[in-house]
Amino acid sequence: MSIYLLIYFLIIVSAVLSVISKKLINSAIMLAVLSVGVSLLFFTYEAPWAGVFELSVCAGLITVIFISAVSLVKQDDEAFKENRVKYTIFPLILIIFAILSSIFVPDYFSKLSNFSIYLENQNEPVGKFIWLYRGVDIIGQLTLLSASVFVIKHIFKKKKTAEER
Amino acid sequence: MVVDFLSYSLIPLFSALAIPFIARKNKRLIELLSNVTLLSGLLNLSYILLSYLIKNNYETFTMDVYSFSMIFTIYLVGLSITFFSTHYGIENDTNPTSYYPLILIGVSAMSSIVIAQDIFTLYIFVEALSVVSFALITSDNSHTSIEASIKYFFLTFPASVLIIFGISILLLNHPNLDFSTIKDTSSKFLTIIALSMITVGFLIKSGIVPFHFWTPDVYQGAYSPISALLAGIITKIGGVYAIIKIGILISNSQLNYFISKILLLSGILSVLIGAFLAMIQKDFKRMLAYSSISQMGYIILAVATFTPLGIIAAVFHLINHATFKTVLFLNSACVEKQTGTTNILELKGLEHRMPTTAWTSIIAMMATAGIPPLSGFWSKLLIIVALWKNGNIYYAIIALIASIITLAYFMILQKKVFFGKLPEKFDGVKEAKFQLLIPVVVISGIIIFSGLFFDRVYSYLSRIV
Repeated sequence: MSIYLLIYFLIIVSAVLSVISKKLINSAIMLAVLSVGVSLLFFTYEAPWAGVFELSVCAGLITVIFISAVSLVKQDDEAFKENRVKYTIFPLILIIFAILSSIFVPDYFSKLSNFSIYLENQNEPVGKFIWLYRGVDIIGQLTLLSASVFVIKHIFKKKKTAEER
Repeated sequence: MVVDFLSYSLIPLFSALAIPFIARKNKRLIELLSNVTLLSGLLNLSYILLSYLIKNNYETFTMDVYSFSMIFTIYLVGLSITFFSTHYGIENDTNPTSYYPLILIGVSAMSSIVIAQDIFTLYIFVEALSVVSFALITSDNSHTSIEASIKYFFLTFPASVLIIFGISILLLNHPNLDFSTIKDTSSKFLTIIALSMITVGFLIKSGIVPFHFWTPDVYQGAYSPISALLAGIITKIGGVYAIIKIGILISNSQLNYFISKILLLSGILSVLIGAFLAMIQKDFKRMLAYSSISQMGYIILAVATFTPLGIIAAVFHLINHATFKTVLFLNSACVEKQTGTTNILELKGLEHRMPTTAWTSIIAMMATAGIPPLSGFWSKLLIIVALWKNGNIYYAIIALIASIITLAYFMILQKKVFFGKLPEKFDGVKEAKFQLLIPVVVISGIIIFSGLFFDRVYSYLSRIV
């Protein structure tokens, strides 16, 4: 059960950080980490099909779009400071929610996972094939996505400095 | 994937992902992290390699000599480039937070290409490599580099389309895409079409004649250390390597005849056209680019024999050529930095002012031309013997003659750039920084070493097939 708690913790922390972080780019990255956590949750509850799609679309594609959009935004727009002190109440609420959910939710999830195992024994799902036989593609996906993030950073950052001249 | 080698592709990837979080502001820390990542991998690899070459100890690691020597070359060239860029001084516009991670991701993708066990995995990582190099070419933000980058994009992405079409045709009559399955059923008509499309795609990516139009412009226009990376290793792993892999796949089958003809023709054309066009170039880097096309042609000729000796020759020449071209392109970058030009007509007598650069260049040029004690001689000899034994006598003779042309254009280059009387305007030119010379000197040492101890290297490489 400890692994589930770790994943919940990861999801909650990244969600909080994505709300309270001052830079848009950090928010986007934290959102990606949140999606990775959710997909890990899918994998641990034996729903690899959902996990793969969560990982590739939410953690990957959307993050790339967010980061490219953020890179195109001019620096001036981020210049004005917001007062975010009032938002610190959200973490407190979330901590209380986390404690409550750690007491009540695991039972519910273990029921769900039993149900999913029962469903999978009915007939061989497609997702199992992807997770068991094509695990290598996860590394490929990771390589491609990280490459695209760095490529966007590399190309668009420069365009801005060229205009400044 | 070969699980033994997985760490060599995962560690650079994780290191690249860690850089924006750990060292966002500190430029020195980024450089240190990327250099240490590649250096640790290279030390590990060279320990394993030396334990064979010196102690004759096979049991250290693995029997997969082919992947091992490829990964060694990738790490060697990758480390040279990162170390060189650290001291070369990145242009102000270049962002080190994305420059070094992109090189690390490139190294990771190349290692993954080497250890891939099916064509689709190979394709994914080739794509990742293309994307990375497309961005890296623009690093110095000059007009030439952006033009080069756009050219690279428009001429190599059709190649990707061809490869993915080939893969989808292969999927029509195969249960999966493992190399072993395709080997078993490789006599069907659709398989021939699919493999031809994939081969043509990889020929475009490696810049072989008649698909060579992008290479000179890209190598000349790209940011100098990156043109060394491109010519040294990326076009080889992303293009020729895959062709060698397919060559191993279809040896001893009915497909030999069809694909062998395509490869022999394009190989001999690139040997000749590359060598002749190199003779008339007026720019140092552009001449090296045409020389690169010519040498790639030799590798393709060796693969086209589809014999064990041919494959060994191709792999050995691939490794050798990676070392030569890295030395020459890094030296051209040094020359450009110190004198401000790469025009052969303006340069003269640099040997008096830049002795280390001059002599390492001359070693690399001699090795490329195939002068006996150096490693290039042995690999060219193996290629010509493989062609001769396979019955392609005319191709062997043409390859031998083209080797003399190689010597000719490198003699022209030496005479014009390094020898002769130093003109007055270069009186103030100094040798490049000490750190910039370290990678070049080390790789020149490897060229001499693998030439002198060729028997050990050959007995090591002959375990490939």
